Amino acid sequence: MLKPESMVKVSIVGPRDQFESVSEILYRLNLVHIEDPVEDEYFKLGEPFERASMISRSLVQLRSILSYLKLDPEKFVPKRRFREEEVKAELDRKLEEYRTEIGARIDRIKELQERLKALEDELRVIEPLKVLGIPPRLLKDYRTIRAFVGFVKADPTPKIQNITSDFEIFLKSYGKEYVVAVFVRIEHADDVFRVLQEVGFREVTVPDIEDYDTRISEIRSEISSLQDEIKRLESEIEELKSREAELMLAIEEYLSMELEKSELPLRSLVSKYAFVIVGYIPAKRFDEFKSTVESETNGRVTVEKLDEKKEEFDPPTLLKNPPYVKDFEVLSTTFAIPKYHEIDPTVIVSIFFPLFFGLMLGDIGYGALITVIALYLKRIFKTEGWQKLLNVALYSGISSIIFGFIYGECFGPFVVGEYEPTRVHFLGGILYQLYAFNHHHPIFDRVEEFGVKALLFVTLVTGMFKLLWGFALGFRNVAVEHGIKEAVLEKGCWFIGVLGLTFIIFGFSYNLGIFTAPPPEGFGKLLPDNLYILGSYTVEDGKAVPLPIPGMVKGWQAGVNIFYAIALPLIIIWFIIFLKAEIPKMGAMGVVMAVELLTWFGQILSYARLLAIGLSSVYFAFVFNYLGLKIAFPPGMALLPLGIIILILGHTINLILGILDPGLQSLRLHYVEFFTKFFEGGGRLYKPFGRIKKFLE
Amino acid sequence: MAEALISDVAFVKGCAAIGAGLAVGLAGIGAGAGESGIGAAAVGAIAEDRGFLGLGLLFTVIPETIVIFGLVISFILMFAYGV
Repeated sequence: MLKPESMVKVSIVGPRDQFESVSEILYRLNLVHIEDPVEDEYFKLGEPFERASMISRSLVQLRSILSYLKLDPEKFVPKRRFREEEVKAELDRKLEEYRTEIGARIDRIKELQERLKALEDELRVIEPLKVLGIPPRLLKDYRTIRAFVGFVKADPTPKIQNITSDFEIFLKSYGKEYVVAVFVRIEHADDVFRVLQEVGFREVTVPDIEDYDTRISEIRSEISSLQDEIKRLESEIEELKSREAELMLAIEEYLSMELEKSELPLRSLVSKYAFVIVGYIPAKRFDEFKSTVESETNGRVTVEKLDEKKEEFDPPTLLKNPPYVKDFEVLSTTFAIPKYHEIDPTVIVSIFFPLFFGLMLGDIGYGALITVIALYLKRIFKTEGWQKLLNVALYSGISSIIFGFIYGECFGPFVVGEYEPTRVHFLGGILYQLYAFNHHHPIFDRVEEFGVKALLFVTLVTGMFKLLWGFALGFRNVAVEHGIKEAVLEKGCWFIGVLGLTFIIFGFSYNLGIFTAPPPEGFGKLLPDNLYILGSYTVEDGKAVPLPIPGMVKGWQAGVNIFYAIALPLIIIWFIIFLKAEIPKMGAMGVVMAVELLTWFGQILSYARLLAIGLSSVYFAFVFNYLGLKIAFPPGMALLPLGIIILILGHTINLILGILDPGLQSLRLHYVEFFTKFFEGGGRLYKPFGRIKKFLE
Repeated sequence: MAEALISDVAFVKGCAAIGAGLAVGLAGIGAGAGESGIGAAAVGAIAEDRGFLGLGLLFTVIPETIVIFGLVISFILMFAYGV
C-alpha cells in the first residue's frame, strides 16, 4: 500500500514482419508503459502502418459528427456494448450510412441556416424602407439626380441647405436612428455625401423589388418554412442519435484503438529489418507477459528484462491500493503524483482525512445529510473521478455521524450551559432521552470548558504525532534516494528537533497541572505529582515557573521536570546536527536558519484548527436553533413559520460551510503540515499501451 | 477621587475578553488580507493549468494558520482569566 507497484524495464525486439502482430498483442495485454525512444545511428523512429491514414480520415469524419451531436465518449454511459467482430463487419456500411444520413443532414441544416441568415438580413433592410413609404423603384438613382438612402443619427436638412436649395429629403425616425432618403442634383452629390457622413450616414442598397408588403410576407413565409425544415431535420438527427449513439461510440472506440495500434512505430525504434520497443511493466506480470508475447509469435520476438543503472531506471508510478484507499487517491494525487521510489501517502490520507473531517464537523444530522447527498449524487455523476470524490464524501459523512454521536450533536448541541435542552434545540427532548444511558449528557461535551481544553490538547498531540511521522517518512525517502547520511542531516535533524519541542510542550503542560489536577483544570491523576529532578518539588511549586530558563526566571529549579530533562539533550543534539548540515551550505549565516524550529511549533499549533472549525459550526447551529425556537414559540413572538424558515435557512448555510470548511482544512492539514515533510512528487502515471474498453465488449 | 464603577477583577476580566476578541479579529483581518492576493494569483494559475489546483489551494490557505494562532491566544486568555 505505502509503495507504488514494483516495475521492471523491458525490451521487446523482433523482425519487422512481426511488428503488426506484436502491436496487436501488446495492445490486447494493456501492460507495457512505452518509453519514448531516442534515435541513434542505426535505429530511427518508425513510420505508422499503412492503414493509419485511412483510419484517421474516417475517425475525423466520425468525430466531427459526434461533436455536432454532442456525444462525449468520456461522459456517455452506454446501455449496451458491441462485440468487436460486430463492429468490424458493419464498419464500412455504417460509416457510409452516417455520412449520408447524418453528415448530409448536418450539411443541409448548415445550408438552410445560411439562407435563413440571408433572408433575415434582407428583412432588416426592407422594413425601415417601408417606413419611408416610397416605392422601391423610385428610390434608385436617376439620370440627373442622385438618391441617398440609408440611416443617419441626426437630421441633415440644415446642412444640406447650406450647399443647395434644390433638393428633397424624406426623414422618418426608426428605433434610435432615422431612416432617410435624399434626392439631389448629380453636381451636388459629392458635397451632400460629405455632409451626410458627418451625421453618421450608413447607406442601404435598395433591393430590386416591386412592393414592400408582398416581399415581406414572401420572406416571412420562407423563413417559417426554412425553420420548419431545420426542425424536421434536427428531430430526424435526434432520432438517429438516440438509435445509433452506442454503435457510433463503439465504432469511434474501435477506430481509435486501430489508430493507436497502427501508430505504435512512432514510439519505437526500427532498423532495416528489426524493431525495438522499450518500456516498463509491473514486475509480477513479467513472466506471464514474456511467455505470451514469445509463444504467440512462435519465438520470433524476444522479451528481455533490462537491468539498468540507477540513473536510467525511472519507472512510471502505478499506485497500488485496496478499494477503500483507492478512493482517496483523488486527494493525494491532486497534490502531486509520487515518484516511483517515494512513499505513496494515500493510505495515511484515507485514515486521517475522514477522521479529521468527523472530528471537526461531528454532527449526526449534518453527517447523515452529507451521506444521503453523496449517495444521491453517486447515481447521477458516473465518471470515475466523481465516484471517487463522492465516496470520500460518503466516508466523511459516516465519520461525522460517529463523532456526532460522541459529541451528542444533531443539528447542534442540546446541552449548552444551564439552558433546558428543549429551549436550545428543536429535538432537545428526544436527544435528552436518547442520552439517558450517560446521565442525559453527551459522551464527550466539546461545548463546555473542560471539553474545549481537552480537545485542544488532543489536537495539539495529533499535530506533534503527525509532524514526527512526516519527518520519519521523509527520513526513509531521503535514505532510499541519497543514503543514510543525507537523511540524517536533512530529515533526522528536524525529527530530533521536533521531538525536543514536543517534550518542551509536555513539560510546560505538566507544570500547568494538566496531567495531575482533576477536571476541569486537568485530566486527573494521569502522572505522579513529583516528576521533578532538581530537588523535591511538586506541581504546585512548578506552576510558578512553567518555563524554567536559568538566569531569566527566578527559582527556575522548581520547574525542571522530567520532560524538560529529556528535551534538553534532544535540542542540543538537534542543534549540533543542524550546524553540521547548514554551515557547509550557508556558512556562518546558516545559524539563523535555526529559527525554523519555530515554524514547526507553528505547524503543531495549526492543528488547533481541528477544534476551532468544529466549535464555530457548533455555535452557528446553537444560535440558529435558539433564534428559531425563541421566535417560533412563546414567550417570544409566536411566529411559527418564521421560526421554521430561520431554522431551515440557518442549517442550510451551516451545512454548506460544514462541508466546505472541514473538507478544505482537513486537506490542508495533510498538504501543508504533513506532506511537505516527506512528499516531493513529480512522478509520471503508469499509462500502458492499450485501453480499457467502454463501448466494446 | 470618584469611586470605581467596577471592581478590579471585573476590569481585568473585561480587558481579557476584549483582548481575546482582538486576537481573533485582527488575526482574521490579517490572514484575509494575505489570502486575497494569493487566492487571486492561484485562480489565475489554475485557469492556465488545472493541474495547479492542489498546489494553488495549498498556497491560498497558508496564511490561515495566523488566525489559529490568534484563536489559541484567545483561548489562553479566556482560560487564564476565567472569562
